[in-house]
Amino acid sequence: MIGRLSIGVIALVLGAILLCGVVSAEKVDTLGEHSADRLLIATTTSLDATGLLDLLEEKFKEDTGVTAEHVAKGTGISLQIARDCNADIVMVHDRVAEDAFIDEGFGADRRVFGYNYFLLVGPENDPAKVTGLNGTAAFMAIEKATAEDPSVVFVSRGDNSGTHSREKLLWKWGGYDYADINSSEWYREAGLGMGETLTMTEELQGYTLSDSASWGTYESNLSLVPLVENDEKFLNVYAVMRVSDEKCPDVNTDAAKKWINFMISDEVQDILSTYGVEKNGVPYFSPGRGSAEVMGVTDEETKDPVV
Amino acid sequence: MIEIQDIVKDFDGNMVLTGVTETIQRGEIFAIIGPSGQGKTTLLRILGLLLKQTSGRILFEGKPISQISDSDPIRRRFGMVFQSPVAFKDSVYHNIALGLRYRGFSKEVIREKVLQKLDEIGLTGYENRKATTLSGGEKQRVSLARVMVTGPDVLILDEPTANLDPVSTEVIEDLIRHYNKKLGTTVILSTHDLMQGQRLADRVAVMMNGRFIQSGPIFDVFTRPCSEDVAKFIGISNVLSGKIIRKEEGMSVILVDGIEIHAIAEEAVGTRVKIAIRPEEITLHTGPDRWSSARNILFGVVEAVRPFGIISLISVKTGDLILSVQVTWQSIKELDLKPGVQVTLSFKAPSVHIMPDENSHAC
Amino acid sequence: MNDLLTGVETAFNLILAADPEVLTITLTTLRITFTSVLIGTLISIPLGAAITFREFWGKKTLISIIQTLYALPTVIVGLLCYMILSRSGPLGDLKWLFTPNGMIFGQTILIIPIMAGLTIAALQAIDPIITDTIRSLGATRFQFLKSHLREARFAIMAAIIVGFSRAISEVGTAIMIGGNIKGHTRVLTTAISLQTSMGNFNLSLALGIILLAIALIINLIMGFVQNR
Repeated sequence: MIGRLSIGVIALVLGAILLCGVVSAEKVDTLGEHSADRLLIATTTSLDATGLLDLLEEKFKEDTGVTAEHVAKGTGISLQIARDCNADIVMVHDRVAEDAFIDEGFGADRRVFGYNYFLLVGPENDPAKVTGLNGTAAFMAIEKATAEDPSVVFVSRGDNSGTHSREKLLWKWGGYDYADINSSEWYREAGLGMGETLTMTEELQGYTLSDSASWGTYESNLSLVPLVENDEKFLNVYAVMRVSDEKCPDVNTDAAKKWINFMISDEVQDILSTYGVEKNGVPYFSPGRGSAEVMGVTDEETKDPVV
Repeated sequence: MIEIQDIVKDFDGNMVLTGVTETIQRGEIFAIIGPSGQGKTTLLRILGLLLKQTSGRILFEGKPISQISDSDPIRRRFGMVFQSPVAFKDSVYHNIALGLRYRGFSKEVIREKVLQKLDEIGLTGYENRKATTLSGGEKQRVSLARVMVTGPDVLILDEPTANLDPVSTEVIEDLIRHYNKKLGTTVILSTHDLMQGQRLADRVAVMMNGRFIQSGPIFDVFTRPCSEDVAKFIGISNVLSGKIIRKEEGMSVILVDGIEIHAIAEEAVGTRVKIAIRPEEITLHTGPDRWSSARNILFGVVEAVRPFGIISLISVKTGDLILSVQVTWQSIKELDLKPGVQVTLSFKAPSVHIMPDENSHAC
Repeated sequence: MNDLLTGVETAFNLILAADPEVLTITLTTLRITFTSVLIGTLISIPLGAAITFREFWGKKTLISIIQTLYALPTVIVGLLCYMILSRSGPLGDLKWLFTPNGMIFGQTILIIPIMAGLTIAALQAIDPIITDTIRSLGATRFQFLKSHLREARFAIMAAIIVGFSRAISEVGTAIMIGGNIKGHTRVLTTAISLQTSMGNFNLSLALGIILLAIALIINLIMGFVQNR
């Protein structure tokens, strides 16, 4: 009798909670799987952390009726997820990795929709004296300063993200072998996202390379300051492409094409030109429209709709 | 009727049962006695269908039963109570009702039967108590009720009172007797308590080294042990070795360590025998009086006085022999018995029990 | 200390205001965790019972393996499930990756070893004399199992609570298979992880407090049931 009562109580509680769970999930249950009206985007974290994608997905739903959703990972994982045919769209910022992805036949219809600049951030007293230097010179200055001043450290994302790729390139442009840099005492590989990496840099009072969108979101919690900005070597170009239906027959190609065209549409480009001003003072991203030359890409890549 | 035929149990090379054979009659109380570790529990577990024997057969009403599966209906005609009381983490009611639930009885029938059993075991009103909170004796009563409520034909009890106080023991014994008399349940129980065996059993078997070395009606086994081990186990401390040296007036005269003892024996002159004399059958006197009708009169000196409650055992050295004699406290005081006192021992020839010389054979 | 207090305050404000996003996250968490625990229980208890009561070659090794899997890192489970649920994986056709169903799948796999292992431990802890009694009372196979589970019910309930705790508090599987999609697969732990990475420590703490409050309520309910 006791047992029956307790079983009853458990069943009741379980049932009640399951029920309210099901009810609450009703609206999302319809997108329980890939289908004509669900588009899955694998994206770099900066587009998510700024809240831009949430806003754009809402607009896209209004325009097309397609529900777009995104998983925010580093560029490396995002491309891997796409290679496994688990996403319809990739939005990343690593030209070299993108080229490889397209060459392998996974990526198609790349369009460039916006850009901003990476920033070299560091402690206000700037022990490595990088202020005023250009991007490559600043990295070389940090390396040199470490020889005399053990307090100078560089914190790296170390996670194969787009930011990490650019940082590796910067060391290369400075004439270093990345393997040497990577094994140096002053070089700290965080293996974390931008937010955690900035937090760690703050604690160590070191230097790090950040994308400007992430910097804009985290800045208020930090005492670090941007030391090198808007350098041409720090140019950060965001691209969107769809996962090829030749490699991944199940992808939602129609919706993916719509999304790409949506990203280069005047509607989105206008949003980009103001997005973040309210919170950040300046926009998080510059629209790609009309800036092909600055970004070093062809004009077609910024405006030609895919068909 | 249960026929046990040459049961052997071998636990990975450890021969626990070496060949048990016995027939137990319907409606009798059969007690297995013997020291601990001689295979009593193993045999009962085989009889209770919890364990399979290595070889041999058990017939119940003429049908072999001991290799049956867990779901065979015959299993439900056997009930078993264990040495430790068993209490499920549930109400007393649930504890007793369990076997009935297994048998699919209706709620009403279960209720009626359980309440009746609660009354029989004197725990009316305890039905909603958690069984784990009962005392050991109460738990064992519940364990017995749990089995008896299913109305088994055979009740197997493995040392059912070994862990209980004397009052609880008496209650359990009364219940066993009650169910045996009232319902005709065949009872097989093991005990290392000789008195319990004597109190309850119709027949008894002495188990040693994995088999029954003697079985029979309770009186026979306790008065006529067939070997030195049995004699010692049933409490006969005076077991002596000797040889029949002559026949005299229809009796045999046995020479034991230089002392002649008269006994009634059929063995021929020259046979080596063991003799057993119960300590309570020897009379002890002090002083020079030689008055006695007993055939055997021996003189000796008190070696030690060992009190056992109101009865004491006195060791008396006579020649090279040491005999145990049972004396009351009263007598010790009156006769002022203490080591060194000279005494006379007397016992009748029929009190001398003759056993074969070789030990450890079934008889 | 100040941060902690603000965190607690934020938590209460969020709960009292019934913040819709927090509510969605909480309900998604409950739905996914409860479904995982329910399925996990339905698999683990029969599995644990089968392993306990059957004799077979390699039984001890199997139990050791199950116990070793208690330490299975959640990210590894996440990775394995990603590979299984990926379009190119064996269950790719289910299209469960980055869906609540996928998370339920992953969390169920995550908690089965510990729930089955604790069920085995609970059943093995039953005094052999109880087993003897059940057998000698003539229980059928099913009754035998039922009586044992009933006798071990408190320990089995504890196993369920442990499974629930592991499921609700893990983040590795949830983020790997769920993808932390807002309004869809975002649960308390992945939200906490996101907010922490964004430096919003107060909000993280608040979400943590909500998670613990749920765990507390579940434990109180279970405690109430056990005391009956």
